[in-house]
Amino acid sequence: MSTIPFQHKMGAHCESGTVTSLLNHAGFPITESLLFGIASGIFFGYFHKNRSFTFPTFILRNRPGDIRMNAEKRLGIKFKTYSFTNPVQGMDCLDELLSRQIPVASQVDFFYLDYVPAWERVHINVHFMVVIGKEDSSYIISDSYFPKPVKVAEESLRRGRFAGGSMSPKGFLFYPLSVPHDIDYTQPVLKGIKKACFNMLNIPIPFIGVKGIRMFARKVVEWPAFARDTEHLSHEIMKINILLEDQGTGGAGFRYMYATFLQQAADLLNKPHLKELSKELMVIGDGWREISLFAARIGKNRDLGTGRLRELSALLMERADAEEKFFKKLKKCIK
Amino acid sequence: MKEKEGFIDCPEQQMILYVEKENGQYGPIQTGSYITRNYLDDWYLKRRNLIQSLRQQVIRREISPVKFFMVLEDLTIAELSARTTIPIRKVKKHLSPESFATLSQTELNRYATVFNVSADRFQSLNLPEEEKPARETST
Repeated sequence: MSTIPFQHKMGAHCESGTVTSLLNHAGFPITESLLFGIASGIFFGYFHKNRSFTFPTFILRNRPGDIRMNAEKRLGIKFKTYSFTNPVQGMDCLDELLSRQIPVASQVDFFYLDYVPAWERVHINVHFMVVIGKEDSSYIISDSYFPKPVKVAEESLRRGRFAGGSMSPKGFLFYPLSVPHDIDYTQPVLKGIKKACFNMLNIPIPFIGVKGIRMFARKVVEWPAFARDTEHLSHEIMKINILLEDQGTGGAGFRYMYATFLQQAADLLNKPHLKELSKELMVIGDGWREISLFAARIGKNRDLGTGRLRELSALLMERADAEEKFFKKLKKCIK
Repeated sequence: MKEKEGFIDCPEQQMILYVEKENGQYGPIQTGSYITRNYLDDWYLKRRNLIQSLRQQVIRREISPVKFFMVLEDLTIAELSARTTIPIRKVKKHLSPESFATLSQTELNRYATVFNVSADRFQSLNLPEEEKPARETST
């Protein structure tokens, strides 16, 4: 078996990057930022205690899988999907699709991918990538986090696809069956923005959306109680930077990518006010970037006293206030 | 963020960053990771210290290798239980060295698979000593 001709592209985020690459391959010319916006990718959730996490954490995008499903619903794309309980069947199905020259997206636990450097490896069951070929006992992967296609050993891929635990991938595969031609983006963009505003402002759960950012701001001062020692606390505080910048967000916790989407949406909907809002979100993103750099600095210096954590808390509270105002204006703008 | 502020020289970890380009349009650029560029050595330092501390606890028979890898790989008991399909109450027991000695081969294999180490290495308590940094220096 050989490698399928496939235009490898880096993406800001694994799911939006993977779906964008597959759609482009299928002849649907959409950008990652436009797809992310239409799929209402922007989000916030804070988890202070959760049986799947060893330490408080937060998420910045909607539920894994929602980008594909919202794109399917709003853009009229049809995806073929597969899940498996039997790993042998799951690997056979992948081989069969590759033999038919179909590049196919795969959900995996990031930890088992042997091309990922040690410092990036974490157990997270919701990494997406495109499998584009097989050579001997290795698969060729187009992973949007890497500049070039990479190889992964068959056993590593099998372990990654069939890892158990929370949000277990169950060998999940998908590829686009059909894509629309001559699409009018008006309704998909409007629906995407409305849902994003709802998610950030109106979900009646105290740890979701703007309320979630406020909870994060209040609770971050309690983080030392969860830490084994100072180095552990330093590691977790520096992870704020990783989650906001490195772990596939396009910078500032997806705020820069969403600002790019709003700039595109302004032209598509002929609403110049959206351009002003996109500029405002870029500035809000700069504030998130400031938080990232602050967290990295105090973590590295082990400067993690109550005073510093209160400073961090105040910066987060400012972001919550700014995002509440921003999403209210955005909601009003597209009414 | 302006395009010129977004470039970070870090070949070890490339990524996509959305920026404001010179013509005022927003879009992606390929750049490097800020935290990897500046703080990778700190990550290795903490990692080495954690491994050493856990190794000492295993040697002093305060914890089992299951606990060693569970902490190292940042897994909760519930998550480890779900991944190994070993009940939570048993996983809790297996965190102690006494109970570790009674593990069946099947249970050992299940843990080893999740932790991505060979069953032999896991059983013989051949635990990693330290990980080598990817580069010698950083700024």
